[in-house]
Amino acid sequence: MPLIRGSKGTTSGEISAPHRAALDSPDAESRWTAARALAGQADAVPALAAALDREPTPRVREAMMTALIRIGNAASIEVILPYLRSEDAGLRAAAIEALQALPDAIAPFMAPLLSDDDSDVRLLATELARNMEASEATRLLCELIEREHHPNVCAAAIDVLTEVGTPEALPTLEKCAVRFAATPFLPFAISVAMSRISGAES
Amino acid sequence: MDDSKGGSSHAAHISPEQVQRFCEFIYRRTGMLFTESKRYFIDRRLEDRIAATGSSSFQEYFSLLRTDADHEIEHLINSFTVNETYFYREDHQFRCMTASLLDAIVHQKEPGGTVRIWSIPCSTGEEPYSIALWLMENWPQVDNYNIEIVGSDIDTRALNAASEGVYGDRALMRLSRDVVSRYFRPIAGGYHQIDEGLRNSIEFTRANLIDPQDMRQYRDFDLIFCRNVLIYFDDASRRLAAENLYDCLQPGGYICLGHSESMSRISPLFRVSRFPDAIVYQRPEADHG
Repeated sequence: MPLIRGSKGTTSGEISAPHRAALDSPDAESRWTAARALAGQADAVPALAAALDREPTPRVREAMMTALIRIGNAASIEVILPYLRSEDAGLRAAAIEALQALPDAIAPFMAPLLSDDDSDVRLLATELARNMEASEATRLLCELIEREHHPNVCAAAIDVLTEVGTPEALPTLEKCAVRFAATPFLPFAISVAMSRISGAES
Repeated sequence: MDDSKGGSSHAAHISPEQVQRFCEFIYRRTGMLFTESKRYFIDRRLEDRIAATGSSSFQEYFSLLRTDADHEIEHLINSFTVNETYFYREDHQFRCMTASLLDAIVHQKEPGGTVRIWSIPCSTGEEPYSIALWLMENWPQVDNYNIEIVGSDIDTRALNAASEGVYGDRALMRLSRDVVSRYFRPIAGGYHQIDEGLRNSIEFTRANLIDPQDMRQYRDFDLIFCRNVLIYFDDASRRLAAENLYDCLQPGGYICLGHSESMSRISPLFRVSRFPDAIVYQRPEADHG
């Protein structure tokens, strides 16, 4: 197939400049179109970050998140991460969905997220491990469970391990069941997880 | 992927726990829900895929599936779904179209106005021709509006076949003899060719659902049939496809997905609309919030 060159050496920055400007438009349709056009353009991350922060229209926010997913680099992830702490449940959910779509790019951010001071952030971060490679997800979640004191965070991690965990998780789960023996739902969740993971071993 | 790897001649043993694990993964990934009553069905297909991929165990296969190595998710879905397409497939959605959707769509149009319907992916044409046939047979207002039907697919070979409009008996199995005799003519080899007028009334075009540039030329559709394709996409591609489809629809327009697909699991852009015959998704008339 012949190579199709860009018109007269135009850079992506030049192409995206009008769209970046349109992110400030008072018209939601223009902002939507601009966000869609900037999908995958790495130099648009700062403009998308600023626009996302002030965007009032849910569908335009959605398009901005998708644009950042299409860029999919560390800078775009750093834009999305703070929304895990949003007071707005819709924004937290949008951030999680966006980050879940980037299982490879999120990997370097997982350890700090799973050690975050905020238990809600740790809980949300467990879900990000679901789409990761199984042994890495198991390692990260087991490290979390070993040091975690919040039963809800452990429960979230165990739920993910039930689907993706490898047999290396079994000792950690056993210890967790002992530690949280008095918490009614955790030993049950752990027994289900262990049974699924052991089943995978047979 | 090469399905001839063979693997072990023995069927891999799959435990109930492994089946549970598999079912939960496949539900989350595709929306296909299998219960214990389908156990035999699941076991057979899983065993087939384990053998076809040369995996030595469920564990090995499940790792391969989760990472989607060699497009295994696509192969697995194909083994679990009816791949063949035929006329009037999932006809409850066509009933919904003529009983509910079109009345809502034409409510704001003048008689003689245009109703635009899109079938994507249209494969070898069974779906767009089904839409045309169903409208002619079941919608009393069919002559009061200018109806444009577009069929699009990424596969140009499928599009060429669609334009030819030649089908075997299996593809026509859901059509009455009367409909077949009125809209098809028998040709050599036991095949049937759809009426020339119908063939010319549908525009077949190439389109890639996840390419925004490609999709830019498709606008102002009142109704889109986009069935059994989004389950094959990963999360990022599904989001992009949903946004592309949103742009292709008129405000207030509807989209019909396959029976195991849910737009609510993909994107919040659309509103769920429940009708007696089907659940469909609607592009809101205006932004809220």
